[in-house]
Amino acid sequence: MNYHSRKLLKLNLAPWRMATVGGLLLAGLTVVAGRAFYLQGLNTDYLQGKGDAVSNRNLTLPAHRGQVTDRYGQLLAISTPVESLWARAADLNLSADQRVHLARVLDISPAELAKTLTRKTRGEFSVRRPVTPEQAVKIAAMGLPGLTLQREYRRYYPAGAVTAQVVGFTNVDDKGQEGVERAYQDWLAGRAGERQILRDRHGNTIRDLAPIKTAQMGGNLTLSLDLKIQYLAHRELAAAIEKHKAKGGSIVVLDAKTGEILALVNQPVFNPNNRQNYKPDLMRNRAVIDTFEPGSTVKPFVAAAVLERGLFHPDSVIETPDNFRVGNKLVHDEHHHPELTVTEIIQKSSNVGAAKMAMTLTPQQHWEVLHRAGFGQLPGSGFPGETAGRLRDPATWKPVEQATMAYGYGLSVSLLQLTRAYMAFANDGEVMPLSFLKREPQEIVGERVFSPTVAREVRAMMETVTQEGGTGTLTRVPGYRVAGKTGTAHKLVNGHYAPDRYLASFVGMAPASNPRLIIGVTIDEPSDGVYYGGSVAGPVFAQVMAASLRLLGLPPDAPETETKMTENAVSARGGA
Amino acid sequence: MLYAARAPKPSAELDFSLLWLAMGLLAIGLVMVYSASIAIAEAARYTHHNGEYYLLRQGIFIAMGVGVGMAAFRVPMRVWQQAAPYLFLAGLLLLVVVLIPHIGREVNGSRRWIPLGFANLQPSELMKFLAVLYAADYTTRKAAFMHDFKKGFLPMAAVMMLAGALLLREPDFGAFVVIVSIAMGILFLGGLNWKVFAGLVVVLLIGFVLLILTSPYRLQRVLGFMDPFADPYGKGYQLSHALIAFGRGEWLGLGLGGSIEKLFYLPEAHTDFLMAVIAEEFGFVGVVVVVALFAWLIVKAFLIGHRAAQLERNFCALVAQGIGIWIGVQALINMGVNVGLLPTKGLTLPFLSFGGSGIIANCLAVAILLRIDWEHRQMMRGKTF
Repeated sequence: MNYHSRKLLKLNLAPWRMATVGGLLLAGLTVVAGRAFYLQGLNTDYLQGKGDAVSNRNLTLPAHRGQVTDRYGQLLAISTPVESLWARAADLNLSADQRVHLARVLDISPAELAKTLTRKTRGEFSVRRPVTPEQAVKIAAMGLPGLTLQREYRRYYPAGAVTAQVVGFTNVDDKGQEGVERAYQDWLAGRAGERQILRDRHGNTIRDLAPIKTAQMGGNLTLSLDLKIQYLAHRELAAAIEKHKAKGGSIVVLDAKTGEILALVNQPVFNPNNRQNYKPDLMRNRAVIDTFEPGSTVKPFVAAAVLERGLFHPDSVIETPDNFRVGNKLVHDEHHHPELTVTEIIQKSSNVGAAKMAMTLTPQQHWEVLHRAGFGQLPGSGFPGETAGRLRDPATWKPVEQATMAYGYGLSVSLLQLTRAYMAFANDGEVMPLSFLKREPQEIVGERVFSPTVAREVRAMMETVTQEGGTGTLTRVPGYRVAGKTGTAHKLVNGHYAPDRYLASFVGMAPASNPRLIIGVTIDEPSDGVYYGGSVAGPVFAQVMAASLRLLGLPPDAPETETKMTENAVSARGGA
Repeated sequence: MLYAARAPKPSAELDFSLLWLAMGLLAIGLVMVYSASIAIAEAARYTHHNGEYYLLRQGIFIAMGVGVGMAAFRVPMRVWQQAAPYLFLAGLLLLVVVLIPHIGREVNGSRRWIPLGFANLQPSELMKFLAVLYAADYTTRKAAFMHDFKKGFLPMAAVMMLAGALLLREPDFGAFVVIVSIAMGILFLGGLNWKVFAGLVVVLLIGFVLLILTSPYRLQRVLGFMDPFADPYGKGYQLSHALIAFGRGEWLGLGLGGSIEKLFYLPEAHTDFLMAVIAEEFGFVGVVVVVALFAWLIVKAFLIGHRAAQLERNFCALVAQGIGIWIGVQALINMGVNVGLLPTKGLTLPFLSFGGSGIIANCLAVAILLRIDWEHRQMMRGKTF
């Protein structure tokens, strides 16, 4: 039967129904077109902005980091291009063979490599920064999917450990972390440039949009250091530390005329080019950051204080019994001298004499001299983390404290601070601002601490320290007159002075007739039985001073006989 | 003899504008699928980094679709009507099969595909075509009860709910909506009492209001798609990039191949979000062209259906207009999703999006439209079917 013949069941397909359904569909399409008109004609800025925020990236163009040199242009820190291995998580697809091979090239176990490669599940991450040039060649030859070599700059320090604590170092992102690298980060780093690129979602560049900023090269830095002096200071200090089985030590060499730091070394030390198993302790620039109680090296400042107030002359005689009572404390001298002149108090480093002189001052007067010399204040070298030391408010001083302060207990200083203060004696009363950077002499303005007369008088006293009868006979330098002061301080251990732990120090200058160099030396806890500043720090001073004077070509100022005596002194030291 | 020689051959009596319209859509789809998929294909491992991976497959699908369409064109509509219930049953069976573990293949949490070795069969795509046939046949058969809610509407609703439930098990919400739309639309065209529809609309409105009153957060989730930039890295990710693609396209687009969003930003660029790539590369002009082609196709389907109704060929009329509803609703939902008017539901753009089952089903639909039109032309010459 033909289905058309079923008349009774015939449908009535109403045209209005067709028009309704068809019309609804067409209306829907019209709405879609209208919406597209809104999106593509009216709302484009908003949508494109959203899109650009996702797909446009500002790439940084690394700026070449400036180099650091010593005052004569010797390289201390340079940036070298290296290759680093980076992985892109989405594309990582290494065969088992490739993994084994790569692990062998990187010199790690396959398990370690697997761990590194699964460090992140998306984005990019570093696998090894940097790889060696040999590794780079092998990795490039393997053609590993998802792994790329990227050019970066790595810092290299040609002088290694010798300048490590001064120059400091940068981290893996080439940012200064310690020392000069940190202090002058902004100058050295320059300004990274930027360019805008369009990227796909995997981070591939589709095209360059616009350079926004060109990279600005980092500036070079010329330090005040003299690498030759630095090197020999490093060598002498290391030798002394070993000889005296000491815990550590520091040497600061200053140019007395300019305040420039010509050398600054510490022990222990580290190799900035290989910091794989570094200890923060080794990185500390002890001469700038650590403080110690200076001991007898502050006595010249007491002498200067009483001289400038006219309380004593260099030849004034002071009774110096073996014991001198201040409050309930006995000040004690180890050597027996019933009476000493002011000069002899310095020469023989008499605690009793220094205390008696100090007690003629009010605490305020005493403090004022130490304050002028820079104690308790930042030395202003600009070195990151430099310490101000400690000098208490004189209103809180008890008499016994003032007495002990005269021979260097109850206050603390850094070696850099102490050496800087000696500039006042070396430079006829004027202290030049410290600098780790090379400076032109005309741009330096000093600060007057003592009158030229007082400064010369104290310097003359300190010269006797190195002569027969002084505590610093081992500090003599052939051909030059040397002035200085020894220091042997008991160390504070848990709030008590340890009877058997010392900090031996010597700060001195030469040529004494017109000092050009000031050298401060500390040796921390010498433990081979010898611990006097004159015998432990003194010879180190003499070696560094002698070599430095020769290097600078300074004319000798000592008479011939002086030279002979020094030779005797040297041979005596050798025999001891 | 001279006159006879000049008479049009039967093959020339096809509705060529409809044929070219469909071919045009397929061609645009092929080009855009290639453009949208190059980067994805080159980056993927399963394609062996072959940029033509999707182009090649879409080309084969279109060839298969044309083949299937040519075969379907030879089948008289009478046969289609007689076979409709059985075909629909077979379709239901496939919907059950796809849900069986180890047979149905699961991708992204949906079990929609039956692997056939060389390609995957997606029963839900076929089901849309079968639903058109079945609903048209049902409506024709139940013509006498179209005024009756119980006898006219409920049985159809029950059958469609069964198919719908199977689709929601996969889940394939998009196909569910399309099939329900087809069934309802054909029932409406078939003369089902308009009060039933009015009642349905009222029920839906009440349900919607209840939803708002009882749990505003649920509404928030439903309407969350309205502002994809509120959560551009989570729920709004896909849509926000689709909208960015539209915004980048402006009036004339970035040019063929110029899309940025297809470079891994826009997931499913070659399937569900092909329209966004068209919008980015050809701008508003491209969007309007595609929308107009679909509008034209819908108008064609409804005109053929109208003609069939005039010829009192009700089954054919309902099939033709059912196809119009199918293609129209699916295109509307897909484009609505692309422009951010509807929540993302995973529905392809007919004729254009990548996908074998979809392309073949769409070709079948066009073949049936051509067949109905061809039968009309034959009837004009006095032939009966």
